[in-house]
Amino acid sequence: MPFNAIPAEDFLNREPELSYLKGLSKLKANALGGDVFLDGARGMGKTELLKQFYRILFWENNVVPFYYSFKTANLKGTYFAQDYFTGFVRQYISFVKKDPSLASNVAEPLQRLMPAISSLGLYWLIDCIEDFQGHVSKNDFYWQLVAAISAPVMAAQKMGKSVIVMLDDFDAAAHLYESSLGDAHGLISLFGESMRNRRCPHVITGSAGALEPVFTDHSLIGMTERMRLGPLPEDLAMALFRAHLTNLKITCAPGVQLEFLDILRGNPFYIKNLAKAAWKMQKNVIHEKDLIECYSFEVSDGETAFYWASVFSRYVKNPAQRKAMLKLLMHAIENGGIEEGKRLSLVSGLGEAETETLLGALTTSGIIRAKDTVLHDFIHCLYMTEIEGGNANDAREKIEAKYIQEREESFFEMVIPMSSNAELVVAKAVEQIGKNMNLDAEFLNYLQLALIEVCINAIEHSGSYEKKIFLKFITRPDKLEIIVENSGRPFSLESLKEVPVEEKMRLGMKRGWGYKLVHKIMDSVKVERVNDRTRVILTKNIDNGS
Amino acid sequence: MKSVQFSVASRREGDAAIIYPKGYLNNLSGENLVIECGIYIGKGITKIVVNFSETDLINSIGISMLLQIIEDLRNIKGTICCTNMSKLLRDTFEMLGLMQHMLVFPVESDALTYLKTGKL
Ligand SMILES: Nc1ncnc2c1ncn2[C@@H]1O[C@H](COP(=O)(O)OP(=O)(O)O)[C@@H](O)[C@H]1O
Ligand SMILES: [Mg+2]
Repeated sequence: MPFNAIPAEDFLNREPELSYLKGLSKLKANALGGDVFLDGARGMGKTELLKQFYRILFWENNVVPFYYSFKTANLKGTYFAQDYFTGFVRQYISFVKKDPSLASNVAEPLQRLMPAISSLGLYWLIDCIEDFQGHVSKNDFYWQLVAAISAPVMAAQKMGKSVIVMLDDFDAAAHLYESSLGDAHGLISLFGESMRNRRCPHVITGSAGALEPVFTDHSLIGMTERMRLGPLPEDLAMALFRAHLTNLKITCAPGVQLEFLDILRGNPFYIKNLAKAAWKMQKNVIHEKDLIECYSFEVSDGETAFYWASVFSRYVKNPAQRKAMLKLLMHAIENGGIEEGKRLSLVSGLGEAETETLLGALTTSGIIRAKDTVLHDFIHCLYMTEIEGGNANDAREKIEAKYIQEREESFFEMVIPMSSNAELVVAKAVEQIGKNMNLDAEFLNYLQLALIEVCINAIEHSGSYEKKIFLKFITRPDKLEIIVENSGRPFSLESLKEVPVEEKMRLGMKRGWGYKLVHKIMDSVKVERVNDRTRVILTKNIDNGS
Repeated sequence: MKSVQFSVASRREGDAAIIYPKGYLNNLSGENLVIECGIYIGKGITKIVVNFSETDLINSIGISMLLQIIEDLRNIKGTICCTNMSKLLRDTFEMLGLMQHMLVFPVESDALTYLKTGKL
């Protein structure tokens, strides 16, 4: 299993990490550290880094690598012990014989390996196996586990050669159980003994949120340090994508920038999946627009969607919980997180206690906090189909439409103080933005007037202490949208009653004209209250025909 | 947008006063405009021409100051003429329903001719 690493030359940008890992056994021997917690988002390449490291150690022959993945492990204690133990024995023999196939051949029972072990003179290993089998036949749950977990330590001591133990997705070990899920707590701490051994550096991975409670178990803190695996830099991400495409015999159209790839934030798993999606969709030549199409497929129906769906299924037991989870996640996305003290049962539709439990699980898993656009789009797709009852195609098209539109957008933001003539700065800015869009010069004058009116209304009437106005200009080929926000007193369009000029003159009222102008100039004017801010949304449709 | 500084220049021609608001017509400059007109009205002038050729940006508060002048002139049976208005200015006055309270001429000389002869 550890041998299915990708070719070393295709493994990008992890030289510093690898070279640090290579020094671990020295660090550990000198009590200077030597245990690493490899942290990084899902798909960032933690497993791949371990596999690459494994292969290097295997052929260098100085330190023995042992890799175990908890991801697919059966967490019933006795199964786990058997699996872990035989896994170690196989990998050890394969290391000594320099025969990778021995490590991968899970079908072969230990008994069949005995002759090989004897011929290698590893008599201590035979003892070890016999001891383990003794515990099994006596049905001794605890000692089976201990014997399995301490096998690498035993080997290191007997042979005087360090064993590097790689525990992938180690957080799952927190769920080891005896006969039914949740019946035994803290079995994970059995690893403490092994981790403390000077000849056994450990490299573990897992979600930080899930491992935090594990690390408060003092026996495991020890000398563990955190190594963070970040995204691939933009240029390498593009290079990786192009390399995948080449392997799949897909070419990029001349001049394609692959700008859209940025959305994958240098995540190698997503990058690979997107390339595969292009292949599945039978693309021969990739244009920027194809990327969006393939991406929309990926987050609704592709491997990325499949991956996340399987992660999600771990957290829910029934359809009601699944719906609740989606609602909570969508709520978190829309509100930029989960607010303290909010009655989330109203969102989830489950009871208070059940909601708490679900939320707890989602929080520890890191899913709820993840600033991962791909994940968010996946959640959005699922929400559209499972909660809103739409069909999968529509969901996919929605995602696609969103990005096609964004691609054509340009976006400016500015903040002005509420001081005299500051509105002229806005007028100047919007003039240039309009010119960039080729808007008619005459119309620009009106636009300036409308913006000046909105700004002075905020300056004059908001009573804001913050004394700032926040503006956003979003331009699309068919539309200009301007969002103006400020804190202070709310106001609504209804409150701006029209007063005829005659009346104004009679009453000496000379104000309240501003919004009348704004309404005449813009195609739509909306006023919203968002938290403590008033938000005015102005839109103007652009007629490209004339 | 040429300048943001606002100033008001003015001159007399016969029994009329001509006012030249320049730059950004907002609350401050609108008030200056009112004051300037007030000075002429104080001297017994009842015909006022506002030449907008050098007004670039405007806002509703600035414009509303014109109401004051219209009202003051109405009280003394005077006349207000606006000239050299940009399309934006004309449209804006129209939108706000100000047009029917003033006489509008394309250029200053038209207004002066009208004020002298009473003919359009
Ligand atoms: N540095 C890298 N260069 C190229 N491909 C990588 C790199 N890191 C990971 N990959 C590929 O990305 C995919 C996801 O990596 P994986 O190790 O499974 O992520 P994780 O374990 O962090 O969830 C795998 O197909 C892997 O081969
Ligand atoms: Mg992994």
